[in-house]
Amino acid sequence: MSVTEHDLKLPLTDESVRDLKVGDFVYLTGEIFTTAGLPTHDRLLKCLDGEEDLPFDMTGGALFHLGSLNEEAEDGSLSIIYINPTTSTRFNGHMPRLIPGLGLRVTGGKGGLDAACARTMAENGCVYLSFLGGGAPILTAGIRKVTGIGWPEMISHYRIARIEVERLGPLTVGIDAHGNSIYDQTSDLAHDKRAEILAEMNSAREGTQA
Amino acid sequence: MPITDDMIIEATKELYSRALRKVPEDAKTAIAAAMQTETNETARRTLELQLKSAELAEKKDTFVCSDSGFPTYFVKVGSKAELDCDFKASIRKGYEVLVDTIQPPLLKHVTNPITLERGYHGKDMPIVSYDFESGADYVEILCSPKALGSGRWAALELFTFPSLETIETYILDVAIKAGAQHCPPVIMGVGIGGSFDHCAGLAKKQTLRPIGQKNPDPTLAAMEERLTKAVNGLGFGPMGTGGDTTVLGVHVDFSSGHGFTPVAVCFNCWINRRARVRMWGDGRMEWSE
Repeated sequence: MSVTEHDLKLPLTDESVRDLKVGDFVYLTGEIFTTAGLPTHDRLLKCLDGEEDLPFDMTGGALFHLGSLNEEAEDGSLSIIYINPTTSTRFNGHMPRLIPGLGLRVTGGKGGLDAACARTMAENGCVYLSFLGGGAPILTAGIRKVTGIGWPEMISHYRIARIEVERLGPLTVGIDAHGNSIYDQTSDLAHDKRAEILAEMNSAREGTQA
Repeated sequence: MPITDDMIIEATKELYSRALRKVPEDAKTAIAAAMQTETNETARRTLELQLKSAELAEKKDTFVCSDSGFPTYFVKVGSKAELDCDFKASIRKGYEVLVDTIQPPLLKHVTNPITLERGYHGKDMPIVSYDFESGADYVEILCSPKALGSGRWAALELFTFPSLETIETYILDVAIKAGAQHCPPVIMGVGIGGSFDHCAGLAKKQTLRPIGQKNPDPTLAAMEERLTKAVNGLGFGPMGTGGDTTVLGVHVDFSSGHGFTPVAVCFNCWINRRARVRMWGDGRMEWSE
């Protein structure tokens, strides 16, 4: 089985989003947004309710569940020392509103999102990309420039960072825009195999105990 | 000559820093071995990427993962070690020095569970446990930074006179529940028996056991082999995107107890953060992992 690789420019076109299949590898070049904060996701929902302005217009863009150590120097220049993914399933409750509300075409992090999110993604032409957990050195190397930091009053990894990246990756397509989710597939398969695996364990155990 | 406060401070600071930067050799060896047997191409490439990330972190002298978690230390005091130190104060001091001086800086991950406020310090930080080693003339400290990624999937259940089948079914179900979430391939630590609190400690310590070391107890060795095969048969794979490699090993230990039997399961993600030092009164410090 060979793996398809895509070298993509952001923002993604409709066609390039639909072209991605679960298990494909992707490198991204262009502008991304990142945050690892649960309070940030709550605050984004409040923005959609009109309680506050969004720090950035992310329409058609990519918002990833990545934490970063970001800094603003005295001359106002911005930098990021390292980035790395956080667990996306923590945001299962937020993403079905945030994906259409912010107009996201791409999201991602690690560990995937649930079936309700996958349905929202299929309806809105959005994909989920899996980042390597413990991939900070590789992912940080993809940063070209930090172009904005939203909500700087929050702690570093909760802020929304706008970053220009060059060949960020490789990232794995975990959920495609057709409703296919590697996470649902593997989870379903594991549940299906459970009885068979337990039976094998039982016979192996009887073998050693005989 | 005794082991001093300065040595404890240096050990506390340096161990945490090392654990964040270096994937232990046994973990790298196990991942490299898994690449040879993994049949899923996406999974093989993810394993390869993990090794590359570990290598790059060492080369650039930076963190493998941005989430430094919170600090936990395991202290073992040799019965023949000569001491002139205040362990609790010096470990706290060592962690403070680390936070103030480490490069690159840490993110604020220490969380107050009541207010959810996050910072570098908090009540009872660092988490330290103490033990003794009969006959040893050294002090050993092991650091295991722990974060949400793999930490949140730990579980403990209490059974009464359970069969091995019941115990192993529970362990498998904990693995199914954790699924794709804990940055696989992981090490699963399992504790069986003892008391509620002791059992959790047994499981945790098993995640820190060297990978690939066969359990000297033949019953446990067979159990570990069965469980490793079973969990890998589930198919979650590296980073949960499918494959044959979900665990690098399942490590099991037990303690005698009563008819109620706690079973605890916890996980260490693929980077297996742990660093260890042994210290002697003559000033020697031997670092490992």
